[in-house]
Amino acid sequence: MRAKLAFLAGAACVLAAPLAGAATPACNLVPGWAQSGETRYYTADNLFEYMDGNSEGYFSYNFQNMHGVTCKKNGVTFVIDISDMGDSDDAFGWFSDTRDMRQPQAAIGMGGQIVERRLIFAKGKYYVEIAAEPEGDHSADLKIWAAALEKIVDGTTTPPAALAWFPTEKQQSLKLAPESVLGLRLLQRGYVAQYDYGKAFVVFEDTAASAADVMQKLRDRFGAATPVKLGDEAFQTTDQYLGKLCFVRKDHYIAGYSITAEGMDPVALSAALIAKVQ
Amino acid sequence: MNPATSRRNFLAAGLALPAAASATRSSGSGQTQSSSPAHSSSPALQFKVLGKTGMRVTTVGMGCMITSDATVVTRAADMGINYFDTSRNYTNGQNERMVGAALGARRKNIFLASKCDRTDGASILQELDTSLKELGTDYLDVWHLHGKSSPQQISDDMVEAQMKAKQAGKVRFIGVSCHQNLPAIVDRCIEAKMDVVQAQYSFAQDASWTPAVEKLAQAGIGVIAMKVMARAGGRGRGQQAPPKPPNYGAAALRWAIKNPNIGTTVPSMTDQDQLQENFTAMAAPFSDADSKLLVARLEEIRPYYCRTCGQCDGQCRKGLPVPQMVRFVMYADGYGQFALGRQNFQTLAQEHQDVRCSDCATCAVQCPHGVQVAQQLARAQELFA
Repeated sequence: MRAKLAFLAGAACVLAAPLAGAATPACNLVPGWAQSGETRYYTADNLFEYMDGNSEGYFSYNFQNMHGVTCKKNGVTFVIDISDMGDSDDAFGWFSDTRDMRQPQAAIGMGGQIVERRLIFAKGKYYVEIAAEPEGDHSADLKIWAAALEKIVDGTTTPPAALAWFPTEKQQSLKLAPESVLGLRLLQRGYVAQYDYGKAFVVFEDTAASAADVMQKLRDRFGAATPVKLGDEAFQTTDQYLGKLCFVRKDHYIAGYSITAEGMDPVALSAALIAKVQ
Repeated sequence: MNPATSRRNFLAAGLALPAAASATRSSGSGQTQSSSPAHSSSPALQFKVLGKTGMRVTTVGMGCMITSDATVVTRAADMGINYFDTSRNYTNGQNERMVGAALGARRKNIFLASKCDRTDGASILQELDTSLKELGTDYLDVWHLHGKSSPQQISDDMVEAQMKAKQAGKVRFIGVSCHQNLPAIVDRCIEAKMDVVQAQYSFAQDASWTPAVEKLAQAGIGVIAMKVMARAGGRGRGQQAPPKPPNYGAAALRWAIKNPNIGTTVPSMTDQDQLQENFTAMAAPFSDADSKLLVARLEEIRPYYCRTCGQCDGQCRKGLPVPQMVRFVMYADGYGQFALGRQNFQTLAQEHQDVRCSDCATCAVQCPHGVQVAQQLARAQELFA
C-alpha cells in the first residue's frame, strides 16, 4: 500500500505537466546551479501532499497551481516554487500574510522580502518563494535569484492601491484578510493594518447597497451603536474583544479602527483613514 | 530528493528569528499539571482525557491555521476551549506569532501544540526553539513531527530529538501528525513511544481509519482528530462536491467526538461565527438527525471523494492507470482546467489513450469507498481522447 501511495504521489507530480505560458522556475536561470530531482507541479487537488496543513493558507488566497524545482550549488540547496494565485490581489495578499514585518522589505515585484534563508515576493498573479539549506546567510545568492526569477514572472509591479490608504508610521503589519475581517464573517474581505494604538481596516463590498446592508447588520450585532457623522454613514461602539471601535461606510467601502488604545479616539482615526479611501 | 520532504524543509527554512523574543514560562507548575482549571464548570464544555498524557482537554479544540483575527483565538480561550493547535510552518511562521500574542497570559490555562517540519533531529530542535520564542512560552504541551505517512519518516534521530526536548522541559508530550495512510504508521508510533497522534479523521474515513485509531488508543496514545469536515465541498480535494448542507459542520464534528478513542478535535476556525458554531456543537450529543445528515452527505460526496487509498491501482483489465485518470477528470470538471486535464491525458501511453471503457461489458475496477470509477474513466475518454 505504501508503495502504491508513493507511486501515486510521484505520478501526480510528474504527470501533471506545466501549462504553456505559466511561470516555471529552472535552475539554469542562474549560472552554476544544477537541478536536483524532478520538477514539481501541484494544484489545489494535491497541494496538501506537499505541504500538509499549510496548504490551507494558500487556498485562502485563491491558489491555482504551483511550479517548483530544487537547485543545488556547492552543497547549498534552494527549493524554488512559483504559485499562481489567480490575480495580483491574491498574490500580494498571500505575500502580505507570510512576510515578517520585523524584517526589511525588498523592492521586488509588488513587494518582497529576503532574509538569510528565505526569499518571497509577489509579482502579478504570482507568489514566488525560495528556501535555502543549510543554515547560514544565503541572502547574496537569494538576491541574484530574485532578479532572475523576477524576469521570468509576468505581471504588475504596482502594489494594490489600498496600501497607500493606511498610515505607515508605527505600522506593525499590513495584510489582506481574505475572509472574516476582524474575525467577523460579515466583513468578507479587506486590508487590515496593526499599530500599537489600534487596528485599521478597509473592507470591500461589491456595491454601496451591499455595504449599507452590512453596516446595518453590524449595528444589529453590536447593539449599543452611537451614530457618528462620517462618510456616508458611521457609528462607534465597544466590544469585549474588539475594544473601542468605529465603522464608517464610504460608497462600497467599510473602514474604521478597532482595539484603539487608551487615549486614542477611534472616530478621529477613522476620519483620517476614510479621507484617503478612494 | 523527496519533494515533500524538501518542501517541509523549505517551509521551515529561514524562519529562525535574528533576535529572540522574550520567552517566559507562563506556568511554572505546568509541566505536571494534567488539566486546565479554567471554565471546567461550564455545561457547554465537554472534556476527555487525552490518552496517557492525562491532559483533560475540551472535546473541541482550536485549529489556528486559517484563523482570520487574533481575537478569535483570545475569545476561544475565554470560552474555555483549552487545546490550541498551530505549526512552525503555517503562514511562514506568522501563525505561531499571532497565536502567542492572542493567548498572552491565557497561555497558563490552555494546552498548546505545535509542529516541526524539518527532517533531522538537530534541525527540529532549532525549529522548536523558534516556536517557543514566537509563541511567547518556554514549553509546548504537545510537539508533533508534522505530516508523517510512513514509518521511515519517523526516524530514530527525530524521535530522539523529541525525547531530548521532553527531558529538557521544552515539551511535555510528543506526537506525530498524519494526513494520509494512518494505518501504516500506527505500529511505529507505538514503538517510538509517542504520547499523541493527530490524524485526519472524519465520517468519510470511518472504515479506513477507525481500527487504527482504536489501536492507538489501546496503546494509551491520545488521538487528536483533524480535518473532521471531510474536506468535501470546501477547499482543496473535493471542490467538485455539492455545497455543504446546514448543520453539516456541527454533525461532522460531533461524529468525531462521539468516538471514545478520540481525545479532542482541532477544526480550523476562521472567525467568531465559526467558533460559536463549533462551541455550541460540543455540548450536544451526536443525534439521529446528525447521522441522517452525514449518511446523506456521504452519498453525495461518494462519487467525488477520493480517499487516495490507491486500492484501485492495477485493477483495470486494460491496464489503465486509474488513479491518474480520475485525477485528470478532476482537473477538468472539478477545477475547470480542461487544458491541464487533456495535457496530462496525452502523456499516457498511446495504448492507454486508445482504450474505450465501452468495449468492456463490465468494469473490474471497484472503489472500496464508492467513487464511481467506471464513470470517471469514461468521462476522461469523452473529454480528452
